[in-house]
Amino acid sequence: MELSAHRYARMRRLRRVIGRILFYTLVVSFCIYVILPIYYVFLTAFVPGDKIFSQPLNYVPQSLNIERYQQIFASLPIARYMLNTVFLATSSTLIALFISFLGAYSIARIEFPGANLVIVGLLASGMLPGAVTVIPLFQMYQKLKLINTLQGLLLLYASGLLPVTTWVLVSFIKQVPPEIEDAAKVDGAGFFSLIWHIVLPVVQPGLATMFMINFIAGWNEFFIPLIFARGSNSKVITNALSEAQAVGSSTEFFQSWGNMSAVAILATIPVFLVTLVFQRQIVEGITSGVYK
Amino acid sequence: MAGIPAVRPAQVPKTSRRRSKLSLKRILLGYALVAPVVVWRTVTSVYPFLYTLYLSFFDNSPVRQSFDFIGLENYAVALKDHNVVDTIGFTFYFMAVSVSLQIVIALLTAQLLNGRFFGRNLVRAINLLPWALAGIVTATAARWVFDTEYGLINDLLWRAFDIRPIWLVDVGLARFAVVLTDVWKNTPFLTVVFIGGLQGISPEIYEAAKIDGSSGVKAFWYITLPLIAPLVISMAIFISIYRILSFEIVYGLTQGGPGMATALMSYVVYLQGFRVLNFGYASAVAMGLFVIVLVIGLLGYGLLRRAWARL
Repeated sequence: MELSAHRYARMRRLRRVIGRILFYTLVVSFCIYVILPIYYVFLTAFVPGDKIFSQPLNYVPQSLNIERYQQIFASLPIARYMLNTVFLATSSTLIALFISFLGAYSIARIEFPGANLVIVGLLASGMLPGAVTVIPLFQMYQKLKLINTLQGLLLLYASGLLPVTTWVLVSFIKQVPPEIEDAAKVDGAGFFSLIWHIVLPVVQPGLATMFMINFIAGWNEFFIPLIFARGSNSKVITNALSEAQAVGSSTEFFQSWGNMSAVAILATIPVFLVTLVFQRQIVEGITSGVYK
Repeated sequence: MAGIPAVRPAQVPKTSRRRSKLSLKRILLGYALVAPVVVWRTVTSVYPFLYTLYLSFFDNSPVRQSFDFIGLENYAVALKDHNVVDTIGFTFYFMAVSVSLQIVIALLTAQLLNGRFFGRNLVRAINLLPWALAGIVTATAARWVFDTEYGLINDLLWRAFDIRPIWLVDVGLARFAVVLTDVWKNTPFLTVVFIGGLQGISPEIYEAAKIDGSSGVKAFWYITLPLIAPLVISMAIFISIYRILSFEIVYGLTQGGPGMATALMSYVVYLQGFRVLNFGYASAVAMGLFVIVLVIGLLGYGLLRRAWARL
């Protein structure tokens, strides 16, 4: 009797150990599935010459260098593209947060007649695909001479961020108990002081989260610059992907893909840093956009 | 705090007139605050959308310098244009296969990453990397990853099975490559949402089930799945719509090729609008795309309401 109980306990322990091993094998496989393609592009960007082009592929390189970066920086205005990207992603995010916050406060707190209609309309407009708006916008931009200007792109970048940002901020502001605001009003706080001292501190995490998500979205934007950016005035880093493939002797297979990979890594580092550092806030932002 | 409700009713009669006056001021303030976001969206989204509808009834091309009303002819031509019809077919194939794969993989991954384990935060951060990547970066790099001679995929397939498929030349394989790339890039978002859903299920339910002798796969099938079914359905609708609107994945990976086998509808709008400069015709195709999105959204909404009603 005692022996079998002992054996039972040992079997259970063994099953748990095997279960754990299986579990971690799955977790590690999952990580490899995500990281391997990224690592492969990284290799293509940094392995010199045509060393990456072998069958079978060599996953542990003998040497790495930055010759492709020297090449693309020499032949494309990459620095200007990066500057444009930083400007567009940052300013569109800040403007969208400010405008959305005002709207969200009004919808959540003032509850003017038609507030529900406004938020539903905003969200519905957010579901309109770029394909059904881009042609009139293009004609409009031609008339207003906004094509290939940073301010023209900024208008559209920010526009795309407004619906979801407003929606998420409405849900954050509704979490502020109205009693706090009422108490502040009794103390004679004016509207702006109320916003600044009472509402902003409470929704600050929400604003920070939406800043991160919107910055990533702005950094990664491609469709708008593809249509509306025509030169280094307003082109961004995602425009450089295909341009880099044509740099140098574009007939050389390894150069074309090496340069593309170099740009891909350059375009990716900032968003990866933001994602790894602010993982929790981003996850909260994604889920609050879905659930609330 | 407890005193407030007792005080308030007594004040109401005294201040009611002032309040209604105040509230008019407040309503105006409300409109003023919401005006920027409404105006901005109207100018850059709602008005262009309505103008696209208007344009779709015209023969409008800057190349031919034309702007002539032709009624429904653009639509009639589009319905006979086998490029457009085939594109609708592939758009639905892409949507169905990608969404199903994403849901299955996201459910399994969410289950995997939901518990407590060593390195969980790091693994969850890694999960987010494809989400953070630019769509166009993913798609362009995928063209390289699927390369026949030196691509990552074929290197692995060659090591394992001694085969080197020609991914982007063969119609079926090219279509599947588009799906696979989309799944790799977009499943992490869904996984994050599903992890949130799993965390909403109270642990006591599992405790109770364990006493009744169901855990593991059984608990997943009979408890987890029914409980997050409404979330799964609503996300399925949501990501289906985004699949129909996909553009970058095809632009970067296949340019619609071979032939037009992997062209999605928004890619056709882009080609007709900005390569051929056929604004009127492109607008009609875009409106077709919009109608499909609308129908799927409405069907999905109905399905969702029935799913909620059952619960």
